[in-house]
Amino acid sequence: MQKNIATFFDKTREIASLTGDKLSSAFNKETHRFTITGLSRSGKSMLFTSLITMLKSRSEEGYACLPLLRYLPPSQVLDMHIEPIDGYKPFPHIQNIEDLENGQWPKATEEAFGFKLVVRLKETASLKRHVLPHSDVVFEFIDYPGEWVTDIPMLSKTYAHWSDSAWAQLSSGPQQYFANQWKAFVNQFDFEQEPTEQRIQLLVNAYRDYLVEAKANGISLLQPGSFLLESSDFDWQAFGFTPLPSSITSDVSHPWFNIFDKHFAKFQNGWLTPLKQSIFKETDKQIILVDLFEGLNHSRQHLYQLKETLSHLADTFVYGQSTWFSRNVLKKEQIGKVAFVATKSDLIPVSQRGNLLSLLMQITEGARARFDGKPILFEHFLVSSMQVTDDGSNEDAIRYKDTDGRYVESTFEPIPSTLKEMEEGSHFPVPDVSVPSDYKARILAGKGVDRLLQFLLGKGEQE
Amino acid sequence: MSDKPYKFDESPEPTRSSTLRRDALFGEASEQQANSEAQSHSVSEPGERDSGSVNKPQYKTKVKSQTLDIAQPETKLPQQVTEDVWEVEAKKGGISLGAATLGFGVISLLGFFVFEAYTTLVVNVSEHPIGTGVLGALLIGFVSCFSFLSFKEWRGYKQVNTAMEDASVIRNLLANQGIEPSAGKQPSAENQPSPEKIDRVLNQHGKRFSQGSYAAHCFDRYQQQLQDDMTGPERLGLYEDTVLKPVQEKAYKVLNKESVTAGSLAFISPNNLIQTFAVVWISFRTIRRMARVYGLRPSTAGNWKLLKVLAQNIAAQGVFDLATDEVANQIGGSLSAKFMENSAEAIAAGALNARLGRALIKLLK
Repeated sequence: MQKNIATFFDKTREIASLTGDKLSSAFNKETHRFTITGLSRSGKSMLFTSLITMLKSRSEEGYACLPLLRYLPPSQVLDMHIEPIDGYKPFPHIQNIEDLENGQWPKATEEAFGFKLVVRLKETASLKRHVLPHSDVVFEFIDYPGEWVTDIPMLSKTYAHWSDSAWAQLSSGPQQYFANQWKAFVNQFDFEQEPTEQRIQLLVNAYRDYLVEAKANGISLLQPGSFLLESSDFDWQAFGFTPLPSSITSDVSHPWFNIFDKHFAKFQNGWLTPLKQSIFKETDKQIILVDLFEGLNHSRQHLYQLKETLSHLADTFVYGQSTWFSRNVLKKEQIGKVAFVATKSDLIPVSQRGNLLSLLMQITEGARARFDGKPILFEHFLVSSMQVTDDGSNEDAIRYKDTDGRYVESTFEPIPSTLKEMEEGSHFPVPDVSVPSDYKARILAGKGVDRLLQFLLGKGEQE
Repeated sequence: MSDKPYKFDESPEPTRSSTLRRDALFGEASEQQANSEAQSHSVSEPGERDSGSVNKPQYKTKVKSQTLDIAQPETKLPQQVTEDVWEVEAKKGGISLGAATLGFGVISLLGFFVFEAYTTLVVNVSEHPIGTGVLGALLIGFVSCFSFLSFKEWRGYKQVNTAMEDASVIRNLLANQGIEPSAGKQPSAENQPSPEKIDRVLNQHGKRFSQGSYAAHCFDRYQQQLQDDMTGPERLGLYEDTVLKPVQEKAYKVLNKESVTAGSLAFISPNNLIQTFAVVWISFRTIRRMARVYGLRPSTAGNWKLLKVLAQNIAAQGVFDLATDEVANQIGGSLSAKFMENSAEAIAAGALNARLGRALIKLLK
């Protein structure tokens, strides 16, 4: 009899706890959708890898990292796990860690990956914890090649419009130095001949060579960025197009214009439109990653170009504050919080980081102008996903291990705090840092990620 | 390093702003941007033949590098919070100063007894040098230790008062930090206290925690998590998260445990005298343990307040005993009546101990 009663009580308790768990999972869930926007090489994949490593180490191994992340107090974190997002390949976190283990930086992203980070928090409110014992904080992240983001503005153009502007663009600014071969190729190309598949490929490959070289030299304003990826889902070999001289684009009956116009339409309808709908869907929080070193590594013109590119990227997204009605009934989200993040900030001395932050603020001026009159919360952050450098012998120096295995000290002249201060004809070469063997400790020592998450997760307050 | 093989033969001279390119690449909105930039572009007309010999520039480096003859230091993994093991009772290591004082006192007393016996026995050899020397040494030891102990107590009380002043400064800083900037505005750096000032206040506060206390343990963790790029308010927030809040939580946990113990002792006490002694003992133990959590001892003024609360508690417990006795008499002398009486007294003892603890927390936090 006693045994039966005990069994009955055990079962009742089990059912109650299961019900509580299910109720919690159903009602006590808080989902944060993040769009992480960044140009190619801005450090998106490394940021994701670090973020997962930091959160896992913090919740599973109890390491005291992310000290400023007050929104997820370690004492309340019960569990953390990664779930896939339907329609996306899982983010290769383990592969990236293995790469680091083997002394290689994670490979550049060439396709879209999606994942959810689910952090389960213990409920602390005395009454609520009996009914809903836990709450889930869900982070949805999508990693995609930075090359795609520069293509989205092409959606609203006609081929002729884009071609003329692309031609003007490659003849100006710092990219003009890398367009010589392409221009020479076009000059000797015979457009009187019919556009056969072979001839189209010749032209597309020559244009792509220019894009590749310009990208390798820090040019951020390159279209179509999708042509830069070998494994792009858009078949640019078969449906490629290039900008053409105005003598051709002004003649709508020209066979080369017609064929490229068709390919351009296919690029828009078959590639960019679905891309915008799936990857660049509306979310409520946005992180815009900016690699200022791409500009500092080259010239002031590169920095101006970065500023321009960023301000135009902001046009791609919908900003505003989502209401309960718009979010749950209309299923329409608007970005209400934006974090501008300068990555790889550990590559300059601590004494210069104030200047770097000021420079970041100036670079984002154009993008921020899109928020005028809207209740958008924004903030600027300096983030290092991994602290790869050590303090130098003086406050303007850093130390790091370069790719040749040498331990090097680099002393910096003052980083410009404004674009005007960047001396014409001078640059700040990016330290050529190798992956440190103690990469995990250095990921956990990464700075600014906690501050960034706290800002994005907090209920509207700025820390 | 990534120096590029550029030649700085020719820099593009600004001619006119390329609004055509901006507009076409990014749409109508880009026109707004067109005039705002200092950047200028030289523009080649589409179809322009031969772009000329525009050579790649060579830039002057603003970074000087030198190879060092040392290996890169290893970065340590951060401290694991799961290793947060802290015992309320301090580990006994050797003889404490208090025990030594008592020991010297007892030995001195015994010594005098022995000396007196000795002088009684050997009346004529009152000038016995060894006995006098030993007893004198013991007495000197006792007096010295007692003086040092008194000095330490006095210094401790002084420190507690200063710590309380620091705590009020920290509370003010935390209160000022709570002002939220409105949407889209940058947090104003002018209104924020400097990291140096906050560091000074927090370090002063942390330094006063007694060694081995929970507060000192938390303060160590705070110092390990400090990063050089943290702003003043961030340091303050971290201090709140890693020191102030955990200490407060720990204090309440310890208090709850002590109150349960007080209730249990009251429940099993066979008579009122033992119960009173038990309540007094557990009250002093609560004070001692809470002081171990906060790393501070109540100051003289605080002690008086606590003694007042303690006396009130004992009086209240006495009155409660009388009342429960009377109720038990009315019900009859059955076992259930005794059980009920003891249960009520246990609840009262627990509640009174909690009252004492809360007074203590108010004094120390």
